[in-house]
Amino acid sequence: MAPFSGSDADHFKDKARRDLLTLLEGVRGKKNLVISQELAGPVGLFVKFSELQDYGVHRVFYLENANIDSSQRNVVFLVRGEKARHVRIVADIYIERHQDELTFILSTEQIKRLQNNGNVEHEFSIFFSPRRTLVGNAVLEEAGITGDVNIAELPLLFMPLEQDVLSLELDDSFSDLYLHKDPGCIFHAAKALMGIQQRHGYFPRIVGKGDNARRLTDLLLRMRKELDAEESSGLADPSARGLLPSSNVESLIIIDRDVDFGTALLTQLTYEGLIDEYVGIKNNQADVDTSIVGPASAPQPQESSKSPQQHGPPKRKVQLDASDQLFNQLRDANFAIVGDILNKVARRLENEYETRHTAKTTGELREFVNRLPTYQLEHQSLRTHTNLAEEIMRLTRSETFRKTLEVQQNNAAGADSTYQHETIEELIARDVPLKTVLRLLCLESCMSGGLRPRDLENFKRQIVQAYGHQHLLTFWALEKMELLQPRSPATTMLLPTSGAQAGSKTNYGYLRKNLRLVIEEVSEKDPNDISYVYSGFAPLSVRLVQCVLQKSYMVSLIKGGTPAAALNNASTMSPGWLGFEDVVKSARGATFSIVQKGDDKAVRARQTLSGNSGTKTVYVFFLGGITFTEIAALRFIAAQEAPKRKIVICTTSIISGDRMMEAAIEKGSFGPADTK
Amino acid sequence: MAPNPLANWEKIGNSFYRKIAVYDAIFEDDVELENYLVAGAPYGGAIALHRDETKPLRLRDGQGSRSTVDVHSCSGQRINRINWEQATIRGLGWSDKEELLIVSEDGTVRRYLGLDGEFTSFSLGNVSKSSSNESAMLIMHQGAEEYGVRACQFWSSGLVALLSNNQLIVVSKYDEPRPRLLAPCPEGEVSSWTLIPPAHTLSRSVEVLLAVDKAVFLVDTTEAEEKISQNGPFKHISVSPDGLSVALFTAEGKLWVVSNDFQSEPSEYDSKSRVPPSTVTWCGKDAVILAWEDEIHLVGLNGVASKYYYDGRVHVIPEFDGVRLITNDTCEFLHKVAGVTEEIFRLGSSSPASVLLDSVDQLEKKSPRADENIQRIRSSLPSAVDTCIKAAALEYDGFWQKRLLKAASFGKSVLDLYNSDEFVEMTEKLRVLKSLRDYRIGLPLTYEQYLRLTPDGLIERLINRHEYLLAIRISEYLQIPADRVYVHWASQKVKVSTVDDEAVCKLIVQRLDGKPGISFEAIAQAAYNEGRSHLATQLLNHEPRGGKQVPLLLNMEEDELALDKAIESGDDDLVNYVLLHLKSKLPLASFFRLINTRPMASALVETAARGEDTELLKDLFYQDDRPIDGANVLLTEALRESDRARQAEKLQLAARLLSDSKEPTVVLNQKLVTEASQLLKAQEALDKDLADNSEYLGLSLNETIYRLIRAGYSKRAQKIQSEFKMPEKTFWWLRLRALVAKRDWGELEEMAKIKKSPIGWEPFYNEILGAGNTKLASGFVPKCTHLPPAERIEMWVKCGMIVKAGEEAQKAKDLNTLELLRTKASGPAATEIERMINQLRPRK
Repeated sequence: MAPFSGSDADHFKDKARRDLLTLLEGVRGKKNLVISQELAGPVGLFVKFSELQDYGVHRVFYLENANIDSSQRNVVFLVRGEKARHVRIVADIYIERHQDELTFILSTEQIKRLQNNGNVEHEFSIFFSPRRTLVGNAVLEEAGITGDVNIAELPLLFMPLEQDVLSLELDDSFSDLYLHKDPGCIFHAAKALMGIQQRHGYFPRIVGKGDNARRLTDLLLRMRKELDAEESSGLADPSARGLLPSSNVESLIIIDRDVDFGTALLTQLTYEGLIDEYVGIKNNQADVDTSIVGPASAPQPQESSKSPQQHGPPKRKVQLDASDQLFNQLRDANFAIVGDILNKVARRLENEYETRHTAKTTGELREFVNRLPTYQLEHQSLRTHTNLAEEIMRLTRSETFRKTLEVQQNNAAGADSTYQHETIEELIARDVPLKTVLRLLCLESCMSGGLRPRDLENFKRQIVQAYGHQHLLTFWALEKMELLQPRSPATTMLLPTSGAQAGSKTNYGYLRKNLRLVIEEVSEKDPNDISYVYSGFAPLSVRLVQCVLQKSYMVSLIKGGTPAAALNNASTMSPGWLGFEDVVKSARGATFSIVQKGDDKAVRARQTLSGNSGTKTVYVFFLGGITFTEIAALRFIAAQEAPKRKIVICTTSIISGDRMMEAAIEKGSFGPADTK
Repeated sequence: MAPNPLANWEKIGNSFYRKIAVYDAIFEDDVELENYLVAGAPYGGAIALHRDETKPLRLRDGQGSRSTVDVHSCSGQRINRINWEQATIRGLGWSDKEELLIVSEDGTVRRYLGLDGEFTSFSLGNVSKSSSNESAMLIMHQGAEEYGVRACQFWSSGLVALLSNNQLIVVSKYDEPRPRLLAPCPEGEVSSWTLIPPAHTLSRSVEVLLAVDKAVFLVDTTEAEEKISQNGPFKHISVSPDGLSVALFTAEGKLWVVSNDFQSEPSEYDSKSRVPPSTVTWCGKDAVILAWEDEIHLVGLNGVASKYYYDGRVHVIPEFDGVRLITNDTCEFLHKVAGVTEEIFRLGSSSPASVLLDSVDQLEKKSPRADENIQRIRSSLPSAVDTCIKAAALEYDGFWQKRLLKAASFGKSVLDLYNSDEFVEMTEKLRVLKSLRDYRIGLPLTYEQYLRLTPDGLIERLINRHEYLLAIRISEYLQIPADRVYVHWASQKVKVSTVDDEAVCKLIVQRLDGKPGISFEAIAQAAYNEGRSHLATQLLNHEPRGGKQVPLLLNMEEDELALDKAIESGDDDLVNYVLLHLKSKLPLASFFRLINTRPMASALVETAARGEDTELLKDLFYQDDRPIDGANVLLTEALRESDRARQAEKLQLAARLLSDSKEPTVVLNQKLVTEASQLLKAQEALDKDLADNSEYLGLSLNETIYRLIRAGYSKRAQKIQSEFKMPEKTFWWLRLRALVAKRDWGELEEMAKIKKSPIGWEPFYNEILGAGNTKLASGFVPKCTHLPPAERIEMWVKCGMIVKAGEEAQKAKDLNTLELLRTKASGPAATEIERMINQLRPRK
């Protein structure tokens, strides 16, 4: 429990890398690695393919493709233990290899048989991540292969996306939580947070909002108790017994996504957010058409074996993380000013490059040459981002984008939504992507407590006709997720006074006013409030975080004082939700603030030892996903709190409105071609 | 009188070896050791004795008719007797954790956990499944079962079995035994063999040295490599504990020691015996023991030897730092004298440590020489103290331990600065070791062995021997967790106690109260295994970790409780596991009843079933009266269905399911599902009439109409529109888009003639302009009457009709715009604009 050096991000990255490589080392000789698609990306975050090669990995296959060849004797599977289906595929492949005469195959997955089967005796290893599950065991047992494969665990929990962003990278967490009501990812999250607690000591305080957040906290408390129980009898020495509240962590703030679906449904307007909206960012990488950014400059050896056959236009993977300085500068800025920044950087680069002419002495020249690679790198990055920004600019100029944004802004501002319906109908008729339309409807439903039943019926009919009748299932799913609902008579009047029925729905009307979600005059260039990220709308989820961390700022903001002055004397005097209990009640779900106490004596002893100085870390956990725009807003707060506090953003996955819709949208169709 | 520290030292080459008598009067006289197979666990562990069935048996009353394996402690106390009724024992060995392993001829391996006689077993024959290679399969099938195990060798965590057809089978861990075949070996007579544990091989998996006929092969998983091709047969082969050297015993009675790569020149020792020794093993890493019935040669690496003679049969049990020699009368430990010990005690030694030891004597004699001594070694005093401490650790005798510690203590009292931690720790460790070496405990650990065994391992061994009190005392003394001891004690209590459940539970809870880390689940499991399920339930209530209780509760058929505990734990895997178990066990109705009141459980069941078992879902929704959900399942099925007839049937079923309710959403859903079937039917007709193969089937309504118009079937499109009551607006949009896509400008012009458009004319302008037909697009500008002039001007400009734009501006009297337009215009247009500007410009 001694204060650990190094950030959490580095720690987890390093640990994951070491764990995986150790496991691979344990399998002797060359091996083929079969990895489930959802793990491939995250694994790429902490280990390079060349490193895998060093550890004897010959080729990498996707489990879903089930096309491994028998070139290597050893076959290593890396799958999520929670997914019984994946385990089943593994079992299938295994049986396929070993007992050709067996006709029963457990699942219907189509697995191509290999022609040169049976000549090589295969050794199978299965690495379960993050843990080996009982269900997985049962599946393997059912298939009768438990005894014949090597089984190991690879505890991958938090994957560091950035120094300040830890993600569990559970792509399905959103649909699991809200559609299937499967709390698996809460357990997962609790385990991951326990990992942090074991590193730093207990979170002295857990503040949270939302029912799932409450569940997560209960699990954390429970796990702590269990850990204490497991913690063996340390006898005389108290320091060896149990963990203590951490001295360098201030608190954990858990925000349940369903407290604020609305924000995530809005089109993101920061640079990174827009890239995510239009290109899609996965595990810090975006697949961009080469027609936009040009083909990959450096040849990527061996990558071809990793990526499956690509259809459509050639894509190039663009790495989007803090290693790209320019991107780091751009990512959290409102898109409106990205052009300016790019121009400035272009000019600076130009100037610096010109210094070669002014270089007189050989020393100066040498210095210039030394810096040349940096220039080239920067130049390349500049080109990429200029092209990307131009492409996004083109999209944002389109009429549909304009109309969509207009509807969104009106909804966010609380204008009467029925006026928007005509626009939405037009968008449907013009066959804009279903996701876009549904986002608008869901946004309206979230912001104003549901659609009028007649309107909802109307839209349902139109959408089903326009996009196919299979979307009856889509609507059903959206309703189940409480994203798109008919307005019930009780909720028609979402008035500020209706605190009694708080908890079932987030009352945006009330919160918009009391937390000042809409700030018209925010400057995008030189922002003074987080609302810059949506050009005037502050994400509720992040406002809630501010209610905990920046109380005086919030107070002055609401009262209309000068926020800048209030920031300076922001204090930690009143912990938890104190001062905002009533306001916060109008957001959906449980509200809580729990203090984790440790052994008093030990705490005091440590306090005297370590003093009370230094930066304290606040962990903000978004359960159910966070958008890049919210990350930007949190970073904005972090910058304001800088020397005093450090904010580490944790989440189950990165989410966007489109991804939320995709969770609900039925993918099948009645057409004959798609049924298989 | 002090015992002579040099007693039993033997000089072999440059180093000394000494033999320490550890215990005496080990076995009763009637145990004829020469007739027994003996295997000893590492680190002074238990000894297993099994009567060698190849030796003639003197008939005595009763005894001997039954085959047994006796487990003794090193001091000869019998810990357990295992009756053996299986096939002939071919291998007897121990793991590092003091688990006895017995391998029988038919390939069955029994692993005895603890020393209580509890065991698990597995077969070496079940390898057959893991091999796809047909020929390999054949061998394996017949492998262990048909050919039979000939011999077995063990290392710390695994074993290798040699079959009578020279095949080798490896099991590298016992928790999940996976017997694997090593590469096939050459045929021939195996005269001797040995294994190289994984820690010492390049491949990090176990390898075997096999002496076949005249050659020696190194066998690993992939190949058998010939290392020595002549000079055999070798009667014995043995690898040193550090894996660097190999000892070979030739048929001519010579012992060769070579490096592990077989490249070095062997050192040779001639035993002058035609009879090969019964055992060849290493004593530490620098000497080899040759053991005949009652004679032992200790051979150094340079071929020098020392001989010991005994009255009866002597058994050699190798340790990594020496050997234990077991005879009926004594248990001795033979090992190399460590450097520090030699430095102090060697005759005529004048090392600082030796001087320091001497000064203690002088001190007791109150001689001033004590001080003189200290002054003489002043400069090297710290290292002398260290040496004394280290030597104390290696000393077996209490007298010299004390003496050396005293010397160290004296030495450090003279020093100004000395870190005493090591000294203190050493005294603690020596105390522990002393208590273990007591003959009643019988764990003669050396200091080095203790370090390797670790305190945890030590506690484990004490638990195995039911020495709970000592285990707890040592745990407390060393400040390590004692929970295991308590749990084991309680489990044992549950097993043996005869009083009623309440009393036992009370006793256990009382004793363990306030002790952290106690796993009541383990105790409960023990109670359940004893058939005391009531007691088990009672004990489980004291288990703080919910997850731990679940598997046991399931075993105990406490289904509901198990499910609740699983849900409580929040672990979805656990819940799924319980559900999986219950689903296969309970009738469907009661299964549903069980999950019905538990939202998490039913959510998980639904999710799991969605992928695999839709029938279950239908039943569930039917039972719960959830028509929409039920219909949705049918819809999903219909989507997956490729057969049209069955698809229609499913849709019909879904519609019927929904028809019972009057609820508005249900009614709407029903309508839409029916509409879906209708649409599919209509599309089928279209496909039949218009397309070669299915082109329309499965499209959405909008898409259908769009394609119809694009393909020029406007009439059909209109018919479908009215049939499905598509709003006029939508239809217009579709028509517009389809016609533009078709580039059917004529039809669009026709449309423009209509007075009013439900979607206005602006979209026409935009879409047509987007398609590049500026001329046609411009035709729509005047129709957009509701737009402000500024926008209309923009529209004209986009069509490239500056003049028209100018006219619009002129109408609006917008001079500024006109000026702007002038800059864009060229040729005649420019003059035209100029003219307009002039007209508008106020005349002065």
